Amino acid sequence: MNKKKTVTPKKRSRSLSHHHTHSEGRCLDLLRQLSAYIDDELPSDICGEIRRHLGACPNCEVFIASLQQTVTLCRHRSAPELTSVDRMKMRRAILTAANAR
Amino acid sequence: MRASASKKPPQHPVRQGLEGFDSLYRDHVDLIYRYAHRLCGETESAKDLVQETFLNAYQGLKDFRGEAKVSTWLYTIASRACIRMRRKRKGEPEHELSLEEFVPTSEGEFRLQIPMSGLSPEEALQNKELREALDQAIDKLPKKYRMALVLRDMEGLSAKEVGTIMGVNERAVKSRLHRARLFVRRELSARGITEHDNQRSGGLRS
Repeated sequence: MNKKKTVTPKKRSRSLSHHHTHSEGRCLDLLRQLSAYIDDELPSDICGEIRRHLGACPNCEVFIASLQQTVTLCRHRSAPELTSVDRMKMRRAILTAANAR
Repeated sequence: MRASASKKPPQHPVRQGLEGFDSLYRDHVDLIYRYAHRLCGETESAKDLVQETFLNAYQGLKDFRGEAKVSTWLYTIASRACIRMRRKRKGEPEHELSLEEFVPTSEGEFRLQIPMSGLSPEEALQNKELREALDQAIDKLPKKYRMALVLRDMEGLSAKEVGTIMGVNERAVKSRLHRARLFVRRELSARGITEHDNQRSGGLRS
């Protein structure tokens, strides 16, 4: 899951500076790229810019941690399993429906 | 490059008939039920979706040419069946999620108010309230975003496989996934979880 990609840097995104207005500007640039950052899909120079921004912007740092936690929770949320009786009943229902069509 | 490489006579990738169906069903029913349950959020609809999926697969066995993995083919059938079923049941309007709606506007919206500090994800998810909050947040997602999240983050498929299943390119998958994650994050953040099950305190950094 989420293999690390080797990406050749093409062009630099708009630079992320230490501007802390979260409704516009640098933090919005970051918001757009957060999943790609979490999934390790960004070129190393962009990752470096993001890390520098996070170091200077506590709100963005908390925000990205909360997004990472959300992803972690999703990845670990288990799903219920079928019983062997359910498997058997469903198989029978499928074959009955197939024969009826 | 040898031109003959692409001219191999096609061999059928799955067995046909009842025997083929039984093998397909035995090997994949648990996988598809898990996916169906994550998409539907409850047991009976998930069972209906599994039955619809395998009924369609049984009838389409002869047409499956092995261009994708069998599991990818089944995920695709299940996803299409899910869209048809939900349309019939709810007539739910689909809406697009825009990035702008996920920009926090107050201090409290940046962090998750949930007891996770010092806990593994498995331990955190022992908290019933947290499990319910997560499930409800995922269930509230418009279906194309929910599918991207479930397939990528819960089923663990690659963006390319998810694109094949959903019939969109990788860029669209990543865009939907990103919005879906932001949506679930916001729902969890807005909810706040008390500590019925876990005796630990704190949110992300408190």
